[in-house]
Amino acid sequence: MSKKDKLLRSLSAAQFALWELHLYLDTHPADLTAVSMHSQYELKFNNLKTEYEELYGPLTPAMGEGVEWLKNPWPWDTEGYDD
Amino acid sequence: MWAYEKKLQYPVKIKNPNPKLAQIIISQYGGPDGELGASLRYLSQRFSMPYPELKGLLTDIGTEELGHLEMIGAIVYQLTRNLTVEQIKQSGFDTYFVDHTTGIYPVAASGAPFNATCFASKGDVITDLHENLAAEQKARTTYDNILRMTDDPDVADAIKFLREREVVHYQRFGEGLRLATDKLNAKNFYACNPSFDKNCGK
Repeated sequence: MSKKDKLLRSLSAAQFALWELHLYLDTHPADLTAVSMHSQYELKFNNLKTEYEELYGPLTPAMGEGVEWLKNPWPWDTEGYDD
Repeated sequence: MWAYEKKLQYPVKIKNPNPKLAQIIISQYGGPDGELGASLRYLSQRFSMPYPELKGLLTDIGTEELGHLEMIGAIVYQLTRNLTVEQIKQSGFDTYFVDHTTGIYPVAASGAPFNATCFASKGDVITDLHENLAAEQKARTTYDNILRMTDDPDVADAIKFLREREVVHYQRFGEGLRLATDKLNAKNFYACNPSFDKNCGK
């Protein structure tokens, strides 16, 4: 697995944990343990996101415009295929 | 509004094209229990949801389903790369190819185009949540059936992720239903419709 894929995987794993807690909190809004776990993962996710975007370009339009945003690959492309 | 993130919820990296499999999996793009119907179902139902927990739940699950729609599109796209006309004819993908080439179009595996009658938005909290519980199980069954017909580990990996999400969403909708019934008259949940009747459950 490439360095980029590895980092994207760690980022996605943190984001997934964050999302799972978020959905859980929709139906258990008063669960303070889950709220604090959410904050921990949020920190982890934000750090990984910054690291990824610095190396491989913006994940959201707000983080980069023009050439940077348009760069291949797009999420459905396989590496090296659609350049 | 929505903001796009330039990544998939879970990675899709398929090495070997397989048009026959693509033609089956596209059912989760535009078929009766697919991700397009799922996202539109929840994102439409949420407007008449009476309680904040349920407005949140439907917004969030509906949004996640849009991410799943993108994953299914990526799977079908990657399974139909670099095909020869011979492969297209032999696999049976020709009936799709003639109308759409290798573009992604919402159809069921049978070829029936996406139809909004495959989901309901009834404007009644109990009815809509039951619809959603059933919908998650129908999608889970479809993913089970896809896995029965898949021997490509690259494809199975992504499909297993999507299957698991149906189970989690089912759980959350069950909790949502419990939240709703707890707020209503326990002697008769159906005495009034909190999505429509004022002071229902108050």
